[in-house]
Order: sequence, then structure tokens, then C-alpha cells
Amino acid sequence: MTARRIISLSWAAGVLALAAATSPAVGISRDESVYVEAAASYARFWPEAIRDPARVLATADRRYAPNHEHPGFAKGLFGLTRTALFDIAGVTGEVQGSRAGAWLLASFLALLLSLWGCELAGTLGGALAPAFFFLVPRNFWHVHPAVLDLPVTALMLATTYAFWRSTSASRGRLSTAGWAFASGLLLGAALGTKHNAWFLPPVLACAWLVGSFRGRQESHGPASEGAVGTVRGHRFPWALVAMAVLGPVVLVATWPWLWHHTLPRVQAWLGYHLHHENYPWMYMGTLLREPPFPVAYPVVVTALTVPAAILVAMVGGLLQSAARIVAAWRGRAPAVSIPTEWLLLLSSLFPIALIAWPSVPHFGGVKHWLPAMPFLALLGARALVTTGRLLWPARAGAVTGVLALLALAPAAWQVAHVHPFGTAAWNEIAGGAPGAATMGMQRQFWGDSTVAVLPAVNAHAAPGARVWFQETTALAARQYQRDGRLRRDLAVAAGPEDADVSIWQYHQEFRDREFRTWTEFRTARPVAGVLLDEVPLVQVYARPGAWR
Amino acid sequence: MNEHPDPRGPTYRLPSPPPPDPTGWYELRRRARTVWPPGDRAWASLFALAVSAAGLFGLWFQATLPGRLPSPTDWKAAAAVITREARPGDAVVLAPPWAERAREILPERIPARPEVALPILAFPSLDPEEDLRGVRRVWLLSFPGAPGGTGPVASRLAPRAASVEGPMQLGQLELTRYDLETPVLPLWSLVDRLPSASVQTRDARVTAETREVGFLPRSCVVARWSGPGLDPVVIRLASLPLGISLVGRVALAGNAPGGGASVRVKVDGVEVARADATPGRPAGQPLRFDASRLPPASHEVTVEIVPSGPVPGGVCIDLAALP
Repeated sequence: MTARRIISLSWAAGVLALAAATSPAVGISRDESVYVEAAASYARFWPEAIRDPARVLATADRRYAPNHEHPGFAKGLFGLTRTALFDIAGVTGEVQGSRAGAWLLASFLALLLSLWGCELAGTLGGALAPAFFFLVPRNFWHVHPAVLDLPVTALMLATTYAFWRSTSASRGRLSTAGWAFASGLLLGAALGTKHNAWFLPPVLACAWLVGSFRGRQESHGPASEGAVGTVRGHRFPWALVAMAVLGPVVLVATWPWLWHHTLPRVQAWLGYHLHHENYPWMYMGTLLREPPFPVAYPVVVTALTVPAAILVAMVGGLLQSAARIVAAWRGRAPAVSIPTEWLLLLSSLFPIALIAWPSVPHFGGVKHWLPAMPFLALLGARALVTTGRLLWPARAGAVTGVLALLALAPAAWQVAHVHPFGTAAWNEIAGGAPGAATMGMQRQFWGDSTVAVLPAVNAHAAPGARVWFQETTALAARQYQRDGRLRRDLAVAAGPEDADVSIWQYHQEFRDREFRTWTEFRTARPVAGVLLDEVPLVQVYARPGAWR
Repeated sequence: MNEHPDPRGPTYRLPSPPPPDPTGWYELRRRARTVWPPGDRAWASLFALAVSAAGLFGLWFQATLPGRLPSPTDWKAAAAVITREARPGDAVVLAPPWAERAREILPERIPARPEVALPILAFPSLDPEEDLRGVRRVWLLSFPGAPGGTGPVASRLAPRAASVEGPMQLGQLELTRYDLETPVLPLWSLVDRLPSASVQTRDARVTAETREVGFLPRSCVVARWSGPGLDPVVIRLASLPLGISLVGRVALAGNAPGGGASVRVKVDGVEVARADATPGRPAGQPLRFDASRLPPASHEVTVEIVPSGPVPGGVCIDLAALP
């Protein structure tokens, strides 16, 4: 086995093991609670469809009725792992069993990043690229829940990688047609995971087009022979054709909800996202409710959440890529593949630019431009490797190693420090959670922090107490109960007026609910809480006598 | 071997003189061109320096952060001081405002007078119109070492204080007492008088609550309409002294979307102040009436609330008479 393969497989195995080990501490987020239920329902579809093929459409309508705001591929995978690990083997609870599907895709992401890192910057690049992605605390948090953002990021990276391999000289064992076919299948899986994958083919086509203009560069470098962007007398990007054909086929095949009434259901699905609600969101002391939203938002939030040294490396990588295009354009860098550089640059910048658009809803932390992060990680890793080679060619590995240690050690520290509160992670430029709270940034989202007060609630809540979980859904509360993490005698309340115990999660837009709790319980004094660096994330209130 | 040209020969020319450069600009440009654009190694050095600096900054930040924030012992010490020293008319103000662990640790009532509350206030900034009603002394509890600083509250409290005691250092906490120069002590407030007031309504519910107005908790009287009917609410307070002014605020509780409401204040049947609660104005609208020209006798005060549409969160009305 080659060193590259060992590194890539080690990364894949390491991410899978780490995700499984650190996942139980991460709470159930709002969307996850819905996807876990949906996955359980989707998993029952296939056996029922095989048993009674004549009624397959009716079965599809029934089993895929939960949550058709998003397609079926990733949730189907969550259902598969849940069936295997929870229903059949009984080695996990239902939530961790569903999450295993997400961990597998995170592991796939690590493998791809390492492989592509090796292609771009040698074995050191392959070793560093996944670290630049997974040691960003918010990215690390997204490894765990059974939600769609990291899966679609992994599948978009995979599609882009297959596209790149199909059109460049480094094709490996597969032919151009093989990689094109793979990119079509992978795009289908990405489309079957989340709708932001629809933006991928235009970005790839754009990279191919702009990469075809090579200025004074007379010949291609070894990595770009017959490369992505060549037009006259060179290879056509057949991968785009494969994507156009196979993408929708895989989408429909993995989402039986679309097996009839296809067009109106696709229209309803996309229409939902075109007119998505704007959830209120705190940004620089202002509660954003309606467009136009600030254009700088994704750039500022990225700059305040990615650990500073990784951020510097990523920005350096972007500048290096742009400089390589300019040098090649001027005919000074014959070895540089202009199309590859464009592909990396556009893939890094487009997801951020898309969310910067003022009418696009701004919520959910960094998750909506997460697909940019693997490419920024690749560029950052390559920039560090290049720096080592330039500064001390004879000891390039050692120089890169020292720089990588300086860049990654504080990030690893931060990941360990904020876990499992990844949605509340802010970097040292922001001043961590305290600095971000002073700045008036969104403190957290998705209701997963509740998990940290469950032991206190189990220990102190009066028997049969009614608990208001606020941002945590009733579905999540029941999943905690079924997984044995919340007492079964506790009931779910609809609001503070109806509750004995209130688990209030800090959201500026819902502050009135906390004050209603004060009125209702006749106290403003919490009985328990969760704080990250003294910043309250969750505060538990109780009626007199309901907390023992 | 190179031959020198014959200075007397026909082809010899003197080299052209350098262009006049009285300002030194051309020389500067010539020199700049020797250093710009930098070579690849220079860029790599700069990049390595930036990554190293950012990495070291990150390590320093992570290593020092816990030491910049208060420990449980610091909190216990602050609670002990406030428990010992607090008296009616005191309030605790937090700086930075997110330091709300204080609510869990500090006493909720004055220990020596359990019937009196000890308000814990968390203002992002202390605006001039924030009158700290009912407060004589402020205990400013701050984290001077917190990343992002403690905000502007201390600098805005200082001009209002007749005397300042402290700061007392309690580990990473600082406790400073500000004795306000002109405390605003109301003669009465609508919230306190609600139990004895006459309330006329068909299907609205009128209660005293703590609700969110402009991101802050405010004690106010909330009128809420549960059914489809939107009949006005009339709250009548009989026989009250007015002092020199009536002040208050009207807002939609929780800035909930929906319709608005108009609030009229009448003294002895004559409208003296009016304000509207409308969506999109989270801090509401002030109510103010100069009562200094009225005779110092007791008066009847009426508050009329007229909704203009469904108000799901309710209308929050705060009204007080200042001496």
C-alpha cells in the first residue's frame, strides 16, 4: 500500500472513530429530530415495497410523507444505518444509529480531502488538508448530527473531485468515461441530499469555461494535460453531460416520493426553498428579520469562526491560487493547471458569494456555505506545503510540519474546549464566546445544547413534571426518552405557562419567552444552567416545588 | 580586452545626464523596484510569519481565557458582599450584560428584607433615557478581563453618581457601588396599582407581567385579546397624586408581529398623553405628561387601550408618577 493510501485511509478511519466516540455528547438538533423520525419511516419503505410491489406507490406516499422538504438519499442512508445498528444489532440507540450514516459521509469527506490533498501537494498535503477542515470547531460539530449539511458537503466535494479527475491527466485507474459516470452518480446523490447541490453543475461549467482561456501559457503542466479547461482540439467535459443525465435519475431513484406526481412534487419542493422563511438572526447587535441582509455576513462570520491561523492559511491559499493563475496566464508558470486553479477558486468562493446575496436567508451559522470549506482546506494545506518548500527546500517537510503545528494546535484546543457546543463556537479574533456575545452575535442555534442539562433535570425535576423544552423539539425530547437519556415520567409542555420546568436556550429573538417564564414562575432565578466561558447558553427555571 | 573609446574620435558621446530629480521621486521609484514585487521566498516568509503569529495568538488566547473569567470562588465572594451590604433601593447592573450567571448566584431578594426584590439588570448600554426607576444605589458587577470588554455601562453610570465606592477586586470580578445623585423614585406605578384599579373590558386579559421590550425585561401591564373581538380596555385609577410628571412607555410585548394599539392617558377625563405601539418599533413609544401645573390634589387617571388589529403578544404599558 502506498503512503498516500495509508494516509487517506487513516484519516477516514480516524474521523469515523472520533465521530462515534464524541457523538453522544452532542445534543439532538431541531432538524435532526425530524430527520431521525423520517429515516426510520424511509427505512421501512424498501422491505414493504419488496413484499408488495403492486402497492409500491402507495407505500412510497405513506413512508416518505414525513419531511418532504428535503430529498431522500442522506435520510435513507441514516435509516439504513439505524436499521443495521439499532433495530438489528442493537449496539446503539436510535439516534446514534441514525447518525452513523452521517459519520460515514464525514469519513468519506476525510478520505477525499486526503486524496485530493496528495494530488495537489504530495503526501504532506494529503495529511494536512483534512486537518484544516475538521479542526474548525463548527465543521467538527457538523460531523456528528444526522443532518444534511455535512453529507451534502461531502457529496459535492466528491462530485467535484470526480469531475476534476475525468478531465485531467491524473485519472488513476478509471477512464475519463468512468470518472464522468461517477461524477453523474455522485451529483445525483448530492441532489438527493440537499437542494444546494443544484448550484454545482453551473460552477463546474463556469470553471471549465474560464479555465479554457490560458493567456500566454503555451503548454499544459503534467497535472493538467488534456485538462478541464481546454476547448480547441481538447477534451470536452463529458462529466457535465453525465451529471445532466444521471443526476436527476439518481435523485428520483433515491426519493420514492417522486415516483409519481413527479413534476408537481419537484415544483413544490423547490418552491418551498425559493420562498423559505427568514428566521430571525443576531448579527452585530442587530436582529436580522427581513431582507436585504448584509452582504458581508458570510465573510464576517467565517472570519470570526474559523480559528485564526487556519483562516490565515486559507486566505493565503486563495491568494496563492489567484497568483498561480496570473503567473500561468503571463506564461511564467508552465506547470500550473489554470483550469484546476479556477476549479478550486470558484468552488471555494461561490458558496460564500451565494449566501452573501442580500435576499438569500441568513441563518444557521456557517452551515449554508459549508461546501466551501473543503476547498479552502485544500488551498490552505497546499499553501503551507509550498511555503515549506520555498523557505528551506532541503528541510521542506520539517518547516511545513512546524507551521502546521502552529496553525493546528490552537484549533485542536478550541475544538476540544467548545465540544459539544459547536454552534456556539467563535474564534480568538471574535474573543471566543464572550467576545461574540459582547459583539451581539448569534449565541447558538438548533436547540442541541439542552443535552447538557438533562442530567440535572433527571436528578431534580419533580415526578411527572411538565418540562418546556423551548428550541428543542418535542420529537427530540421523546428521542432522548427512548434512548434512556431523559426520565420517561417527564411530560412535554407547550410553553412556560403550561410548564413546571422551563429549559430556556438563549436566543435573542425568543427573549420574551424567558421573561414570560419569570412572570409565570414568579422568579428570575435559574436553578441550573449551561455556560460556555461564562456565557449562558441554557438556563433552567422551575416553579416552586418542581425542583428537588 | 575592451578598448576605451578615443575621446577625440568622431563617435564619442557623453552619456546623457540623469533627469533632474529635485524631489527624489525617481530615486525612490528606482529603489522600490528593487524590492517590489517580492520574490516567491519573500512571500513565503511573510505567509509563514502570518500563520505563526496567528497560531501563537490562538495558543495565547486559549491558554489565558480561563484566567480572564471569574471562578466559582469569585462569584461566591461577590454574592457574600452583596448579601451583606444590599438594602432596599439597591440594584445590580451587569457589565458585560451577558454575565447572567449572576441571576443564579446572587440573592433575588434583599436578605435583610425578603419582601423587597434585588433587581439584576443587564443593559447592553445604559442610555440616558434609562431612568433606573426606583433605584438609589447600583452595584456594578463587571468582568474587566473579559474578551470584548465590559461595554459602556460604567462610563455612563459615573456621571449619575453622587459617590462611587470601589472597585472591589474579587478575583476576576469587580464590584463598584454607585450612589445615584438624583434617584428616580416614583409615587406610584401602574403595575403596583393594577390590583386596586378598575378594569373595563369584554374579552381582554389584563395582567402585570415581565415582558421583553427592546430586548430588555420590563415590568408592565399587559393587555391581551384572546378572542376575535378587539374591544378597548379601560383601566381606571382613582384618587392618585400626580407629582410633577407622568412618564411611561407603550410597546408590543416581545415585538410580536401583528397589529398595533393606541394608548391614551386621561387625567380627570381629559386626554393628556397618547402613544402607539406598532410592529417594527421594538422599544415602543414614550408617554410623557408634565403635571406640574395641575393642583397638587388627587386625580383620577384613566388608561385606554384601543387595538387596531390582533395583538398576539399583547400590549405592554408602563406608567408611573414622578414626584
